[in-house]
Amino acid sequence: MSQTKIVGTSVPRVDGLEKVTGAALYTGDLKFPRMLYAEVVRSPHAHAKVLAVRVDKALKVPGVRAVATGRDFPFHTGIYMRDQTIFAIDRVRFVGDPVAALAAETPEAAHEAAQLVEVDYEPLPAILDVVEGIKPGAPLVHPDLGKYYVESFITPKPGTNICNHLKVRKGDYEGALAKCAHVFENTFTVPQVQHVPMEPHISVARVDLSGKVEVHTSAQSPFTVRHLLCHCFNLPHGDVEVVVPTVGGGFGGKAGINLEPIAVALAMKAPGRPVRVAATRAEEFYATVVRQGLTATLVTGVDKKNKVQAQKMYYLWDCGGYGGYGVNVVRAAGYTCGGAYHFPNVWGDSIGVYTNKPVGSAYRGFGMQEIHWALEQQMDRVAHELRIDPVEFRLLNCLGPKKTTVTGQLLEKSSGRVDKCIEKVDEVLKLRARGKKKPFHGKGIACAVKAPAMPNNAASSVIMKFAEDEMLEILISGIDIGQGLATVAAQYAAEALDLPMERIRVRMRPRTDFSPYDWQTVASRQTWATGNAVLRGCEDLKRQLFEVGAQALGAPVSRLELKDRKVIDKKTKKSVPLAAIVVGYQFPDGHTIGGPVATSAHHVPDGLLFLHPETSQCSKPVAKWTFGAQGVELTVDPETGNLRIERLVACYDVGKVVNPGLIKGQTFGGIVQGVGTGVMEELVIDGKDGRPRNASLMDYKIPTALDIPDKMEAFYVETPQLDGPLGARGIGEHTMIPTPAAIANALYDACGIRIDSMPITAEKVLKALKEKQRREKEGEDVQPAAASVAKVRPPARATRREAGRERPGGVRARRGRAK
Amino acid sequence: MLLPRFEYRAARTVGEALTLWAEQPGARFMAGGTDLIAQMRTRRKVSRVVDIKQIPELNQIRESEDGGVAIGAAVALSALCEHPRVRERYPALVECACQVGAYALRNRATLAGNLCNASPAADTAVALLALEAKVVATNMDRSRVIPVEEFFLGPGKSALEEGELVTEIVLPARSAGFQGSYHRQSRRRGMDLASVAVLVAKGGEGAPRYRVGLVSVAPTPLRVRAAEELMEREGPSAIARAAEAARLACSPITDARASAEYRREMVGVLTARGLAALA
Ligand SMILES: Cc1cc2nc3c(=O)[nH]c(=O)nc-3n(C[C@H](O)[C@H](O)[C@H](O)COP(=O)(O)OP(=O)(O)OC[C@H]3O[C@@H](n4cnc5c(N)ncnc54)[C@H](O)[C@@H]3O)c2cc1C
Repeated sequence: MSQTKIVGTSVPRVDGLEKVTGAALYTGDLKFPRMLYAEVVRSPHAHAKVLAVRVDKALKVPGVRAVATGRDFPFHTGIYMRDQTIFAIDRVRFVGDPVAALAAETPEAAHEAAQLVEVDYEPLPAILDVVEGIKPGAPLVHPDLGKYYVESFITPKPGTNICNHLKVRKGDYEGALAKCAHVFENTFTVPQVQHVPMEPHISVARVDLSGKVEVHTSAQSPFTVRHLLCHCFNLPHGDVEVVVPTVGGGFGGKAGINLEPIAVALAMKAPGRPVRVAATRAEEFYATVVRQGLTATLVTGVDKKNKVQAQKMYYLWDCGGYGGYGVNVVRAAGYTCGGAYHFPNVWGDSIGVYTNKPVGSAYRGFGMQEIHWALEQQMDRVAHELRIDPVEFRLLNCLGPKKTTVTGQLLEKSSGRVDKCIEKVDEVLKLRARGKKKPFHGKGIACAVKAPAMPNNAASSVIMKFAEDEMLEILISGIDIGQGLATVAAQYAAEALDLPMERIRVRMRPRTDFSPYDWQTVASRQTWATGNAVLRGCEDLKRQLFEVGAQALGAPVSRLELKDRKVIDKKTKKSVPLAAIVVGYQFPDGHTIGGPVATSAHHVPDGLLFLHPETSQCSKPVAKWTFGAQGVELTVDPETGNLRIERLVACYDVGKVVNPGLIKGQTFGGIVQGVGTGVMEELVIDGKDGRPRNASLMDYKIPTALDIPDKMEAFYVETPQLDGPLGARGIGEHTMIPTPAAIANALYDACGIRIDSMPITAEKVLKALKEKQRREKEGEDVQPAAASVAKVRPPARATRREAGRERPGGVRARRGRAK
Repeated sequence: MLLPRFEYRAARTVGEALTLWAEQPGARFMAGGTDLIAQMRTRRKVSRVVDIKQIPELNQIRESEDGGVAIGAAVALSALCEHPRVRERYPALVECACQVGAYALRNRATLAGNLCNASPAADTAVALLALEAKVVATNMDRSRVIPVEEFFLGPGKSALEEGELVTEIVLPARSAGFQGSYHRQSRRRGMDLASVAVLVAKGGEGAPRYRVGLVSVAPTPLRVRAAEELMEREGPSAIARAAEAARLACSPITDARASAEYRREMVGVLTARGLAALA
């Protein structure tokens, strides 16, 4: 299928009409008879022992129908590591940790009752900083770490606050570093941020009198919710149904499991009554999940030919109070620790640290934006220090065919080309071939890479069936959270079966009782996984249609083709319409053959292997890589520190552009989210009491239409992915990965300052500018390169310092300087 | 947070509004409700909301007796911003008013509400201060006129007495024609309160008169007469010194939006910019 008719065109979204007319129903729109409203009682302490929970007064409030506390449900939950109970039992681990919940006839009664739940706490010293958390002797957030169920590929260190530690050891890092002409070390930080979906988390659960559990929830992964609910409550999968109505944004925050266990616990206490648990916007910020913070220290050793020979990465992740999902971010950041570069000798540590802060989880990019913030600024700094053009330096050191990743995986031609993306951005923004530089005007670039972070057996499947009028229905359990999955699934089927788009309906509100299995809508995997399943299903539908068609037409299958909603005999040109076949073909004499045409098909990643436990070396740790680059052109207002992003150019190697309109939407959306995290977003947790200081949309800002770059441009390279549907690979998350680093690099180009701590606020910019002016006045070296805080150390000394420092603390982690 | 229960009453006349307020302890007037309702979710206890938006006489913009313009307390900011007479005679007010929130918000929010809320970050308050507006307030017994200069007492505190209803805000004839230059710094460009803002206005017959007002850098919106006088006395050559005077006049705090140092620094920068733009 080299020439495509529908795949590759901007067909309109199949869910567009229902969204713009308001026909699409979200979980919060659903009104169930006799529904109860819940309120969750949450910890006001960052870290405390729970001595007693008294609910008697709360139960006396008129209208209260159920209360649930930790002791009622001593069950553990968590996707990769079961380190969390539904409600805290003897210990709370962050401000917002659920302690109890109530269900009442009205939200007001539930709220009133919640104020009357009495909890006795004994405050404990809180860990509010990863660097503190990893120190020997630090108070333990999870003293029982050794007792939890943990997936085999997650390696916590009981007796410490380390919930996962992935080591990458490739080549001979120390030996190579000793020979390097230049060594650079820098530390970068990223704060916790929140997803801010338009629709906050919400779940409605009902346990009927026969014991069957039904959950309607705003989630990215109905089957994973069901699976984890069944584990948590020890129920057979057959007795739990999860339904996902239209979802108003996820961005990773609705991956795994969230409010569902609380809703089910309450529903068990009020049999027959649906119980609705909805996060307020404030709870959304601190009590659901956030993106992990990162403190990253990088050491880069470069030889005389400007090739990086030795690279060390030390990532400390602020996972918050529980590591259930975040531990896998730690892992992904480990096996991707070198980003889009070929480093022959690598020493990488990715360490997840429990703190008494909001809980880290999946967030669009799954750790990649955070590590690229460090990596891409580091590469830029090194290039400037070495007085080599940052584009040249990247092209010299980037990954590509025949190069190896940090895990030693040999990339192939079909793995995608970051060099082409860099070159495209360079060509459009004229990074190298620029004219005279205007003051306070700068350009910068950053690369990106990401692989799907998922279990090796993560599967997707589809059910495809024809209605009597030959309308094709495709049942999927991937969730269309705006990325356009339903449209893309229909496009693949339309292409494969030569059907017009309007003859296809994608059923995209899965109910686990009836829908096909899908692991999760995460990892930028749906176009790839569901797309493959649809194509495979189409092959089988075609086989069935031809089998009957052959008899109807009296022709061998080899002579048949499917075209224009007909099975056609290529030789005689005789044909039979699909409508005559799809529920059984009737001959003129009345006898019938065939029957309803339907199939199911699946996709499971091929040949993935586990990482080596000590070195992470592995020839195929992930299904695919998507590479890209973004370039930024901006001006700085030197008096206020304001940035104006004039142009943002993105280029990704996506294998195949399935829908140009949708991918542009994905790219621009990712850029805007990248700009938000890059220049304004930060969940501020008080360093003393661990309370959120900006848990509202008044104080936590995300970009508006006025804050997006003046001009955004998107380009795509199409190096087909061998196992991708018609060559496609994932793109959803990648679009926000390089943005903050590209802005930071453009800022340096504009005025010679570096901001190591995300976000790049006007205030930090102004402070750094003043600092630079002060230094210049005091007669320090005023060349732009020296404005960077990168350290150039004589190699011998550097080597000595590095030698024998193999423990996680080998590189002293420092707090990033806010400038 | 849940909005606590309250009684909602809409008044049709000023007299009815005053009665509805007086008969229920804990009652409060509401214009657009864009401040009030948000505050009721978190901190402000209100038993009865007295909506004044449907009072016809408060929905007018009219010529005042002294040749200025009187803006009714229920007029939405979007109507104010589009009013030809206001645009022509008080462009400095329009410049500030159209910076409040975004379109949807301005379709509800009022000038009187912005004023009565008495926030140091109120965008229009600084214009009213600079244009030397007067506030007409009424209760059961009397009506009085409060100069805006005397209106703000502190964050959320004004000279209004309990139960006093602002009926209109009067812009004097002598401030007509003042051109404004409003410079505002916020964490993002759309829908955000000012971290710091400066309004510079210039006008008057003969020798130019200046007005300089500051937002979000003191317990109340602030007028900087020292800066004005410098400009009036010495003209554009005094811009740097006037900016310095503004910088010294403010008393900012550090909060979620900005640090005190940054705010003070910006007062200098933005004042100089405003003055230069009008020079
Ligand atoms: C999303 C959002 C963005 C915002 N952005 C901005 C911004 O950029 N700049 C800015 O300055 N403000 C902003 N605000 C605040 C608010 O919108 C303004 O202060 C607005 O002008 C208030 O007017 P209102 O009519 O809604 O007042 P209301 O909420 O009705 O009233 C405010 C207060 O004044 C009292 N009051 C109202 N009318 C009278 C009267 N006639 N007599 C006596 N007392 C009265 C009320 O009792 C209440 O205490 C924003 C608010 C929101 C929700």
